[in-house]
Amino acid sequence: MTVCQFFLQGRCRFGDRCWNEHPGARGAGGARPPPASQQLSASNRRGWNASSQRYSNVIQPSSFSRSTPWGGSRGPDQASFGSSTGSGFGAAQRPFASLSSGDQDEQKLLEGIVKDVEVWESSGQWMFSAYSPLKTQPPVAGFTDISPEELRLEYHNFLTSNNLQSYLNSVQQLITQWKNRINQLKTINKSNRVALLPNLNNGVNQAAPALGFGSTQARMFGSSFVGSSKSVQNFSFKTSPGFAPATSGSPSVFGTLPALGAVPSAGSAVSASTPAFGFGKPQITSAASFSFKTPAASGFGSAGFSAAPTSLAGSPFGAAMAPAFGGGTSVAGFGSPGSQSHTAFSKPSNNIFGSSSIPTSLPVSNVISATDKVLFTPKDQLTQEELEQFQSKKFTLGKIPLKPPPVELIHI
Amino acid sequence: MSLFGTTSKFGSNGSSVGTFGSAAADHHNPMKDIEVTSSPDDSIGCLSFSPASLPGNFLVAGSWANDVRCWEVQDNGQTVPKAQHIHAGPVLGVCWSDDGSKVFTASCDKTAKMWDLNSNLAIQIAQHDAPIKTVHWIKASNYRCVMTGSWDRTLKFWDTRSSNPVMALQLPERCYCADVVYPMAVVATARRGLIVYQLENQPSEVRRVESSLKFQNRCVAIFKDKHNKPNGFALGSIEGKIAFHYLNVPNSVKDSFTFKCHRSNRANSSGSQDIYAVNGMAFHPIHGTLATVGSDGRFNFWDKDGRAKLKTSEPLDQPISACCFNHNGNIFAYASSYDWSKGHEFYNPKRKNYIFLRNAAEELKPRNGK
Repeated sequence: MTVCQFFLQGRCRFGDRCWNEHPGARGAGGARPPPASQQLSASNRRGWNASSQRYSNVIQPSSFSRSTPWGGSRGPDQASFGSSTGSGFGAAQRPFASLSSGDQDEQKLLEGIVKDVEVWESSGQWMFSAYSPLKTQPPVAGFTDISPEELRLEYHNFLTSNNLQSYLNSVQQLITQWKNRINQLKTINKSNRVALLPNLNNGVNQAAPALGFGSTQARMFGSSFVGSSKSVQNFSFKTSPGFAPATSGSPSVFGTLPALGAVPSAGSAVSASTPAFGFGKPQITSAASFSFKTPAASGFGSAGFSAAPTSLAGSPFGAAMAPAFGGGTSVAGFGSPGSQSHTAFSKPSNNIFGSSSIPTSLPVSNVISATDKVLFTPKDQLTQEELEQFQSKKFTLGKIPLKPPPVELIHI
Repeated sequence: MSLFGTTSKFGSNGSSVGTFGSAAADHHNPMKDIEVTSSPDDSIGCLSFSPASLPGNFLVAGSWANDVRCWEVQDNGQTVPKAQHIHAGPVLGVCWSDDGSKVFTASCDKTAKMWDLNSNLAIQIAQHDAPIKTVHWIKASNYRCVMTGSWDRTLKFWDTRSSNPVMALQLPERCYCADVVYPMAVVATARRGLIVYQLENQPSEVRRVESSLKFQNRCVAIFKDKHNKPNGFALGSIEGKIAFHYLNVPNSVKDSFTFKCHRSNRANSSGSQDIYAVNGMAFHPIHGTLATVGSDGRFNFWDKDGRAKLKTSEPLDQPISACCFNHNGNIFAYASSYDWSKGHEFYNPKRKNYIFLRNAAEELKPRNGK
């Protein structure tokens, strides 16, 4: 089926009745979260490949063909990649639609997360475990994976060094962190989604110790931006030379640096859910790839992905957009890596990455305070150039605005 | 009377069951299985029976008391302690060589040792940067080596004669559990990582599998098809769930499934459960049915093809931390000791740790609708 042009622009009059394909909507509506993810990826794969061609026509073919290798060269990861971008498309194109099917899917996911988390808390299950709401996605940030044997070994070590108290303290700390994270996740619901991002950001900063990055991180550096599935992460890595020294097993690193290194392990599960990028969440891969595509395509998503919350698998854009802009700097951060190949982002400030304290320096407070106006920017806050961009028919690469468009210019 | 191989009531034999725990509400051995004598002084982390090449049955167990003990299990159920050797740290993995002459032990002291049972000498054969969690013996057509998986995120392969590994593979995260059935090996790591390797010629990674479970991996076991070739694996998590992944099978996605286990329904509220981790799994060598043990202190037998539960045991008063079948599937051994599933508060160093032996010949026969 041909992809519906109007749906991609967010204004298909037929909706479900439309005879053309609506990428992102096919498997989304009415399915339970686990099957939905599979269906979503399947439909979105088609949608994504088709729509990427469309977008390349709409904007600038040359730069798009440069960007499509992310999608194209993924190979086996194509499905998941497609799903993240596809759903991103769906949501990005219609970020202001009240209940699109993408939203329903996301809602189900959130409900699933809340249920899972409640069961986890009440059932006496082992606390220190990684958790993925959907099987195909990397774990939600803020949970560390510690096996019982590791914890017990710590106990024995501290016992022999007569330092039991510090063991008890660190266990207590881990438990409190876990409890906080659980409570944060329990309060997710549709209306709190925008507030979720600040929560998640906070969660990142509380990230439990010793997640470790492993040598995978080292691999990330220096590889070309476009091309391999890891390339998406690469770009974010490159911009932040400060990340390079992150060695495996250094607990503090995790807290401060985005767990970019940890991403490759979850490489296949590129879903919109991972936070991202600036926040040092392990799912950087997906966030990165995700964000990259969308901004190019829509221009809106640029902020979106930087703030993509961990657990919002469905349509990060919808929620991510808002707060992301509050932290306009975070978007800019993306831009700096783009210096390699993606001109669109060459503009934004490079300082984000230059300072390796990205995650913590992310203006979380800005994000929080911007909850109201976060989806749109008032016209007066836009520069003339940005205004022109929004008003023009298509974005010019290199000038894509980092802030969301003003309400007035939105046509749905 | 030969105990193993017939369904005798060994509760009535003179073996040690019944003398212990005769106090009123003692549930340390509700299934009335044979208790192994001189069991380790601290939690048992791993169990392994001798291979078929060795006549008789020998059981080794590694424990958190830093020792590895070996017993001979006689046909009448008597267990005779034979030998032990000590590591510098708790022992997390044990494995026999294919000819039954050596035992490989992996420990938190970051080394793995090769223990020659005839001479009772143990030499170090492996070194990692962090505790070694798993150790397996690989016998390929053109090589033999020991595979060690460690929390330092590497999988190393050792020729026992050299102090350098013949191969070292990088893992995405700390190795939590592994299984080897030539030519397939599966490693489950932290953060839900799952990697499949093929061991022919030389070990190489085949693919990374997306775990069907949402929580931390705890144990993994490879199963074989009816031609005795490995064609998939079962994965247990801390969430009381087991996932079966079929590999190299046309309908692998459809055939793979998960099920819940080791959970208990609470009396008061419907729908709320206690969830326990699956600590160990083992496939019956003849029938191909699965035994699982969990933190709830129970063991279960399952038929994966008939998708049926064959048996659930009564709960023991301690979690069951490890399990193992002997080479012909007649004996099922399981260890009752604290697995740290509830943290240090529930750790009682004075508590006795047990290893029980059960006749497994009959109970693990698959259901007829196979």
